[in-house]
Amino acid sequence: MIGASIQEALTLNALIGIGGGVFMGYVIGVIPGLSRSVAIAIAIPLTFYMSPLIAISFLIGLSKGTAAGSAVSAILLNAPGEASSAATALDGYPLAKSGKPKTALQVGLVASVAGDIMATIILIFVAIPFARVALMFGPYEMAAILAFALVFIAGLSGGNIFKGLAAGGLGIILGTIGLDPQTGLPRLTFGYTQLMDGMPLIAVAIGTLALSEMFIQSEKLRYERETMAVKLEHRADDHITVPIMRRIMPTILRGTGIGTFVGALPGLGPSVGSWMSYGVAQKVSRTPEKFGKGEPQGIAASESADNAVIPAALIPLFGLGIPGNVSAALLVGAFAIHGITVGPLLLRDEPELLYSIFAGMIVASIFMLILGWFGLMIFAQITRVPPHVVIPIVIFFCLGGILLQGYGTFGLVILMGFALLGYLMKKYDYSFVTFLVAFIITPMLELNLRQSIILSRGEWSILLDRPIAVFFILCTLAALVILAQRTLQGSRQIETAPGE
Amino acid sequence: MQRQSFWSGLIVIAFALLALNWLIPEYAGVNPQAQMPPELVPNLAAWLMLISGIIIVLRGIVGMVRAGQLPLTREINPRAVAWAAWPFAYVGVAIIVLDSFKLTHAGGPLILGMLLLLGERRWYVLLGCSVVPVILLYGLSVHLMRVGVI
Repeated sequence: MIGASIQEALTLNALIGIGGGVFMGYVIGVIPGLSRSVAIAIAIPLTFYMSPLIAISFLIGLSKGTAAGSAVSAILLNAPGEASSAATALDGYPLAKSGKPKTALQVGLVASVAGDIMATIILIFVAIPFARVALMFGPYEMAAILAFALVFIAGLSGGNIFKGLAAGGLGIILGTIGLDPQTGLPRLTFGYTQLMDGMPLIAVAIGTLALSEMFIQSEKLRYERETMAVKLEHRADDHITVPIMRRIMPTILRGTGIGTFVGALPGLGPSVGSWMSYGVAQKVSRTPEKFGKGEPQGIAASESADNAVIPAALIPLFGLGIPGNVSAALLVGAFAIHGITVGPLLLRDEPELLYSIFAGMIVASIFMLILGWFGLMIFAQITRVPPHVVIPIVIFFCLGGILLQGYGTFGLVILMGFALLGYLMKKYDYSFVTFLVAFIITPMLELNLRQSIILSRGEWSILLDRPIAVFFILCTLAALVILAQRTLQGSRQIETAPGE
Repeated sequence: MQRQSFWSGLIVIAFALLALNWLIPEYAGVNPQAQMPPELVPNLAAWLMLISGIIIVLRGIVGMVRAGQLPLTREINPRAVAWAAWPFAYVGVAIIVLDSFKLTHAGGPLILGMLLLLGERRWYVLLGCSVVPVILLYGLSVHLMRVGVI
């Protein structure tokens, strides 16, 4: 079966899909302001006509490509394509300015690919046993785990658990819109037949992530316009060498470990991973004073962790069906579009697809290396594209994505509403990650809760026979208390800080 | 920051109260026979929003009192607000236009208009950026129609 799955991932169509995803991801990642989640949100409508394997591999390839591509703009422009590459810019830009832009880019690329491949291998070895255990869970356990994941994400993704919970609450309410699965009665549809199937995920995702981001980017144009990229020229001494490789290898291994750990925890994004890895690399270095002045280890630490987070975030997704970040949440939506329930059931019902996706992820890593190595000059040119040119085009594709799905003007109005909501959430620091994850997992949460209530006939004592469910309920309460305390302490520290 | 938390918390409370008192009772449906009533999950979520909103507002008030701030400020720059608001208005108008015209027909002028408003004046950039995306979308939609997806 595994051989057939690998063969499936190596067919011409699959290779075109994966390669196309990585290439598109690279191009989008290189453009500052266009993040991974924006790329996936815009690309989901393109995957409708693809087979499930090609669609998912395309999106994962896209995700990996954006992570690697964002390092290019961080190094050449000092403007990271996304927040997780900000740590890369600390050493990447000074190294590029000192006349070694190619070395900086190659160090970033090697670290990205190595971190990505190692984390993918860890994913394969961890997710499957995880899913096997999760298959033994009943609705009580799943409901408790989902509640725990939501609280965890609310507390960690934004820093303020109360704002996170408020965003999550809104996501849950919007996630219940549509026909009630038990009674078949319309719920919160306000008489609109278009809402019978629920709030359209594509409109919610593109509005909250992509369109709102374009509004924020256009607002920024008022204050910052000109960008000056470091020129990439052919120089004999400007390339990665064996001594540099030897120096960065331990950093890459450490960064991959940190990135994998951070990625596997729901709610902690790649930014946490890359900064944590950078901090540790500086701490253990014999020459910490060189960090921030063009130290290749700094680039390797940040990039390896950033790229390791992507496959690692799929551990809770494939193992338990819990999306730990926005990209994973969007993948759940993409799976749902193809009629596939992601999570442990995927291992039971469609193991070939799961193994093919894993094989496709390794193929995507190889594409990443090839495209990154030979396409450096092209991607360096893309950094010169000014943001004011990108914004109208992305907005056009946002509108096109909705119309292509046949949602019509109603879909566009919904899109606009969610763009406004996403804009306000980002402005006022409400976790849109929690909102989106809550919106996507609500049907699953409700299903498990309903099954638990029906099976238990309202008897709470049945939980005494379900120690795992009780454990996660206690974890949820403990996380709630600890994270709330942390938020309150954090605000007290800000208030008492000198100069405030 | 505290002022923003205060006002955004008030909006969260307002929405939660609206949901608890009108949206959910009126539109979530009621079924006494169902073992799990259809309004249970939306109700729990609305309560979660209400409690969180109250805490956000209280923290905002405490922060404002400590910092000696007032809930309202005169430090609003109308030009900055207008600059932030025009893209919303532009896309709003675009949606009205797209209600009557196809995106492949109106897309080019819409991109062109926004590029001009954002300050782009180079003719080759204006032409390329407003034509190429439309051709790409047209090609994609034709392909999707051929394979029978749309």
